[in-house]
Amino acid sequence: MVTDEDVQRFISAIKMVSTYNFTDYSERSFKRRIEKLLVDNHMDINQLSLKMSKDKDFLEKIVRDITVNTTELFRDPEMWITLKYQILPKLKKNKSIFIWHAGCSSGQEIYSMLILLNELGMLEQAKVFATDINSEMLESSKKATYKYRFNLGYLDNFDKVIRENPYNFEEKIDVPYEKYFDIDKVKDTITMKKFLREKAVFRKHDLVNDGNIFYSKFDLILCRNVIIYFNNKLQNHVIDLFSNSLYRDGFLILGAHESILGPVANSFDRTKGFYRKKQF
Amino acid sequence: MDYKAVIIGGSAGSFQVVTKIIASLPSNYPLPVILCLHRLKHVRSGFVEALSIKSQMPIVEPNDKDAIKTGKIYLAPANYHLYVELGNKFSLSTEDSVNHSRPSIDLSFFSAAYNYKKKLVGIILSGANKDGALGLKSVKDSGGLTIVQDPNECQVPTMTLASMNATNVDHVFSTKRIVDFLLSLA
Repeated sequence: MVTDEDVQRFISAIKMVSTYNFTDYSERSFKRRIEKLLVDNHMDINQLSLKMSKDKDFLEKIVRDITVNTTELFRDPEMWITLKYQILPKLKKNKSIFIWHAGCSSGQEIYSMLILLNELGMLEQAKVFATDINSEMLESSKKATYKYRFNLGYLDNFDKVIRENPYNFEEKIDVPYEKYFDIDKVKDTITMKKFLREKAVFRKHDLVNDGNIFYSKFDLILCRNVIIYFNNKLQNHVIDLFSNSLYRDGFLILGAHESILGPVANSFDRTKGFYRKKQF
Repeated sequence: MDYKAVIIGGSAGSFQVVTKIIASLPSNYPLPVILCLHRLKHVRSGFVEALSIKSQMPIVEPNDKDAIKTGKIYLAPANYHLYVELGNKFSLSTEDSVNHSRPSIDLSFFSAAYNYKKKLVGIILSGANKDGALGLKSVKDSGGLTIVQDPNECQVPTMTLASMNATNVDHVFSTKRIVDFLLSLA
């Protein structure tokens, strides 16, 4: 059984040997993931701390496991339909469109975005940046090879967003999967096409410590199901960063059950499904 | 005993029971009621509406870090785990399924037991797996009150029997007696 003191010792141990700071993570779920780490590694907190201090690769592995990396292609189709019909058309006239995926995990959200941009004829003008706290996740994102069977259910999401028109059920848009990814049923893999893989710029970035590391502001920031792992204080800090990194009128998309609770909410107009930075 | 919250877990065969329970609670019910129910992965909308038809209390799927208030029924959103954090608010997580479930009843019950200690009423209803059994045990171990729906009445008794195996539950009640008990707290 992990006590609250153990959690504090774990956080201190990581802080001693790296820049990672988990002080302001949501307590209940963080504690549970530490419990799971100890069981999976057959170690107690002291052994874990000692090994992290000596072995950088092990530390990175622990950070990968302590952060949550659930993602899927076109996760929450309603959100993608909002992007397709309400948000992206408003950006189409721009010469360049700057997009930041903050906390991109294994990358499915980036490729969903690139596919949608391509279908809307907006891929050329888009500059897509993706960041994650964990280097292993960034490598997975770049590689863009996923388990086929596991992702099979998500091809439904592809159909809903790309092939169907929610405003006209008669209309079916014929877009073959092979246009965007190769499916290998024997190897059980689905791999994104090269022209998609080469499009995004990937950088390591820690929302706790780092500011806007790109030499640009953004028209659209997506950060979905990331700030649920942060307490109110850290959430405010991160939303502040996003607010400062957005152009006026820029769009911010959070997870389906995330919202801006702090004072920085005043900088945004809220519409169902997204936030938009105010003009003033 | 003055309780601070009621938490209810249910799975297969619990929908009608939950509907009956919440239909009987008055709009000014003095406790928050937290529902953690298994549902189909892709049935994301419509569930709140279906439950709301009969309910006099407002039913909401909470957002992350929402404060927990009396007089409301909170339903764990599809595909998220729902935790109760210290300071009487919710947090959400998309970590892996626990007991093949997200939301997991165990996780919600563990965190609620930790926050409310003896001021929590935990109720397990009909269900086809064991998720919730260890959660109810944690409510009991923290001094809270534990109730299971009578297995003879359950459409699928696996979850209630597993709970009774895991801990010495305080009450085995029919749906009607669960309702009467909850009303007696008002």
